[in-house]
Amino acid sequence: CTSIYQNHGYVPREDELAKVVVGESTREAVAETVGRPTSTGLLTGAAWYYVGSRFRQYGVRAPEEIEREVVAISFDEAGLVENVERFGLENGRAVVISRRVTDSNVKGLSFLRQLLGNVGNIDASQVLGEN
Amino acid sequence: CGGGTPTSAEFEKLDAETIYKLGEYELANSRKGADAVTYFSEVERLYPYSEWAKRALIMQAFAYHKDRDYENSRASAQRYIDTYPAEEDAAYAKYLLALSYYDQIDEVGRDQGLTFQALQALRAVIEEYPDSDYARSAILKFDLAFDHLAAKEMEIGRYYLKRNHYTAAINRFRVVVEDYQTTSHTPEALHRLVESYLSLGLTDEAQTAGAILGHNFRSTVWYEDSFRLLTGKGLQPEVKGDGWLAQIYRQMIRGEWM
Amino acid sequence: QSYAFSNVVVEGNQLIDPATVVKVAGIAQGETVSDAALNDAVQRLTASGLFATVELVPSGSTLVIKVTENPTINVISFEGNKRLKDEDLEKVVKSESRRVYSAAQAEADAAAITEAYTQAGRLAARVEPRIINRGSNRVDLVFEIREGRVTEIERLSFTGNRAYSDRRLRQVLETKQAGLLRNIIQRDTYVADRIEFDKQLLTDFYRSRGYIDFQILSVAREFSRERDAFFLTFNVREGLQYKFNRITTVSEYEGVDAAAYADVVRIRSGATYSPVSIDTTISRMEAIALRQGINFMNIEPRITRNERNQTLDVTFALTKGPRVFVERIDIEGNATTLDRVIRRQFKTVEGDPFNPRAIREGAERTRALGYFETADVEARPGTAADQVIVDVNVEEKPTGSLTFGASYSVSDGVGFRIGLSEDNFLGRGQFVSLNLAAGADTRDSSFTFVEPALLGRDLKFRFTGFYSTSENDNSFYSTKRVGMSPSLEFPVSELGRFEVRYKISDDKVYKVSANSSSLLKADEARGSELTSALGYGYRYDTRIGGIDPNRSFSLRFDQDFAGVGGDIQSITSTGLATYQMKAFREEITLRAELEGGAVVTQGGDSRVIDRFSGNGKVRGFEPNGYGPRDLTVPNQDALGGNFFAAARVEAEFPLGLPEEYGITGGLFADIGSVWGLDNTLGGAIDDSMSLRSSIGVSVFWDTVLGPLRFNFSKALQKEDFDQEQNFDLTVSTQF
Repeated sequence: CTSIYQNHGYVPREDELAKVVVGESTREAVAETVGRPTSTGLLTGAAWYYVGSRFRQYGVRAPEEIEREVVAISFDEAGLVENVERFGLENGRAVVISRRVTDSNVKGLSFLRQLLGNVGNIDASQVLGEN
Repeated sequence: CGGGTPTSAEFEKLDAETIYKLGEYELANSRKGADAVTYFSEVERLYPYSEWAKRALIMQAFAYHKDRDYENSRASAQRYIDTYPAEEDAAYAKYLLALSYYDQIDEVGRDQGLTFQALQALRAVIEEYPDSDYARSAILKFDLAFDHLAAKEMEIGRYYLKRNHYTAAINRFRVVVEDYQTTSHTPEALHRLVESYLSLGLTDEAQTAGAILGHNFRSTVWYEDSFRLLTGKGLQPEVKGDGWLAQIYRQMIRGEWM
Repeated sequence: QSYAFSNVVVEGNQLIDPATVVKVAGIAQGETVSDAALNDAVQRLTASGLFATVELVPSGSTLVIKVTENPTINVISFEGNKRLKDEDLEKVVKSESRRVYSAAQAEADAAAITEAYTQAGRLAARVEPRIINRGSNRVDLVFEIREGRVTEIERLSFTGNRAYSDRRLRQVLETKQAGLLRNIIQRDTYVADRIEFDKQLLTDFYRSRGYIDFQILSVAREFSRERDAFFLTFNVREGLQYKFNRITTVSEYEGVDAAAYADVVRIRSGATYSPVSIDTTISRMEAIALRQGINFMNIEPRITRNERNQTLDVTFALTKGPRVFVERIDIEGNATTLDRVIRRQFKTVEGDPFNPRAIREGAERTRALGYFETADVEARPGTAADQVIVDVNVEEKPTGSLTFGASYSVSDGVGFRIGLSEDNFLGRGQFVSLNLAAGADTRDSSFTFVEPALLGRDLKFRFTGFYSTSENDNSFYSTKRVGMSPSLEFPVSELGRFEVRYKISDDKVYKVSANSSSLLKADEARGSELTSALGYGYRYDTRIGGIDPNRSFSLRFDQDFAGVGGDIQSITSTGLATYQMKAFREEITLRAELEGGAVVTQGGDSRVIDRFSGNGKVRGFEPNGYGPRDLTVPNQDALGGNFFAAARVEAEFPLGLPEEYGITGGLFADIGSVWGLDNTLGGAIDDSMSLRSSIGVSVFWDTVLGPLRFNFSKALQKEDFDQEQNFDLTVSTQF
């Protein structure tokens, strides 16, 4: 069977990136030429990140990320572009994600409540004994 | 005077106070508030704009609330607030309005729309009557409702993290860290940010997130996890050992998503 | 000058207590008050609507507020209303019992009631508000209503229509000319906003037939004297009818080649112009763009008109649209359903480029889940100019059913049945169904569990367990099947899905009556045998992410290899191909199905339960009504066949009844056969492939219980020993 590809995120094209000049472009200029970042760092003044990845799903296996391009544009205190770096899939680390979850005391639907909620609903297939 | 509620003709003979007392008695004794509502609305009908009518309206809102008929409870409370804005009971009416949204959250659990309305109503009570005891209880409920919203953001963030959509996950966890710092989810959000940034290979961002986590929540188990991740020692032993069979059991049968 | 009052006295109030009056006036004790403030107080009191007259009389240090209260409404009632019920009118009226009576409000209510009657087509209605004094300043408000006759449309005519006759255009409109059945069909009464809707219908009718410049100039309304009849005239300008001429596709989006998009265009040059065909072409092109992963693509149809020969050249221009991203996907209204069950229906992830087509496909998949009454998806502007927030608002509906049943029969004693099915188990999107039939004739119990996204992937896990017995229904023998079957299904291509499954079951034929065929007695002699089979299935369906909404093709092919242990060695393969298309402006649905199957056993004969029966293949026959039979014995049971093939053609079309009845009609024709036995008792049983065919009429009816289908059929080609069935009622599941 063939595999199915799916693209996610967005990385600006080469010619657009070329317009970003280190030491000169401000945040607004970058946003203008290249567009807003897919995600940014935590602190104010942190770098802008553009991430584009390509997923492949093959048969029973979960979709896996086969290609990833990360463009990081960092800014100095004056808000001018300090550096434009590129990362690939290989720079990422395979991190085991913790399974612990903070309890959110949101009670879900209990089995009994759903069961009792159904009393009396009839759908045609049961009436006609369709199996 | 047990038995069904008297017919409207009998009501005409009674004066406002007796009907009101009947309503109160009915409210105190019966499990559901429905009968009490008829008493209070009769008081309003026969003696409009009397002192008793005013109190009957607020009691009507409370009766509907006790009957878990939140829509009508909100309508009556809102009518009280509109007609008697300066009344001392208006605070209670606003509180009751907020409570009707809030109680529906517990019952409904997941619906985000209701949580927003509850937050707005609770904030109105807190801001208008800061030193009333309604405000104190509203603040407590406000935090819980706020926690619901944060939980919702976390749930979606983990959904994207689990499917390796790191930027979508980062944006959701950042919303929790920036808008919901006072909730119980912030430590976990920071740890998830460490996980996501590391997965993208942005180690310095991961370091910043770990530092914020260490600075504000050093004693949490989340900080320990992040510390291990950042110093490259991998996760704690109990978290390892997750074969695909255990994963199927956990996710499919117990419905625990991660 | 100014005053300072030490106290305020209220006079003339009967029901309203003084504290409230003072509060509304807004003058506090001991506060210095100027004339202007006094005047404001008067304004406030009158604005409250509580009082008929208000007067402030300052006398020394006390302020006297003299008021006469407006009466309050005790009870509101309606007289003379037959068409509209009291409850409907109460919703329209603003005055409320227990509130103050105001003459102005009563007048406004009367006008509102008249408007309600106009909406219901009774323009001759008259409403008078009247007051009955109940003493102690309380009044009853009564609305006296004279409804008058219904205003019907006597004549509906058109001017300026050359291409289509008045009669043809009347069929297009919702509003009908008053005919014989005028009081049954409500649509001949004159209602203003239905006329607006009719204008739209007329415009669409003309536009989709090539009249690109069609315009409705005016709609003239004349009234008959007694105001119970109407003359309606639509004044239209048709313009010229245009045909398509040159259709080209050009790409102004560098890096995108227009060829792939050009060959999706189905518009033939010379066909009459219609906006519908342009929209379907655009949606086909959008689907291609989505497949190729191209973002921010905007498809503009540029129409150039050549007046001389009334033709249109259409150029589909692929241009680069603005860079817009999905900032957030917010899901609301999901009280029980988990957020992820809905979110995973959308391939778009937050932060991805915004592709309207992908969002629409996600919305369709969410609706296809069947958990929601409504699931509407809108995009609204996000926090930044180039960001969009996708709002998914769902409204849940009951997704389960729980039925109990008890049965008692002389021969089998008491039996109980519990039927539980839940499509959205605990909001996790899992399907659970459990049918327990305890008691003497344990007819059939089954348990099915489906997890559509195992391990969070697009991997459907299904487990079915069954314990089913059939006690000689339509046959002189009984069968028992006990077993279970887990399966995994996953996508293998954009439109194709593949399933691997294992099935193990212990089946037996028993209680074969004495004068049945010796073949069946041989099956009974074999007792219960274990079938353990590995199988796979391939499903191809253009409807999942299909390009063309009007045409769809689906294919199913299954093969089960029994012999992985167990007593039976056989290969069972079945195939079903279905082609469906909508024709004649999407009103008629044509469907063609081709079906076939074969059981090949190695070593040993196939049993009747392993073979195919004729049920559901060719309509018009009783269950087990046709197929090879042992004619040498009194019980001529159908023995089924190792092979079957069938072809079915169907058409479904509206019967012209109003939509709200939900009734459509259909025609069908079937042809097929069941044949082939391993052991024909030395030629005594004719197991040759003799074709059976039938034609029939069906009626589809959408009821609250589900879509029902009534089939009336007539067999054409049949064997003389076949058993016909001319009527059948089934739940017509739309696949």
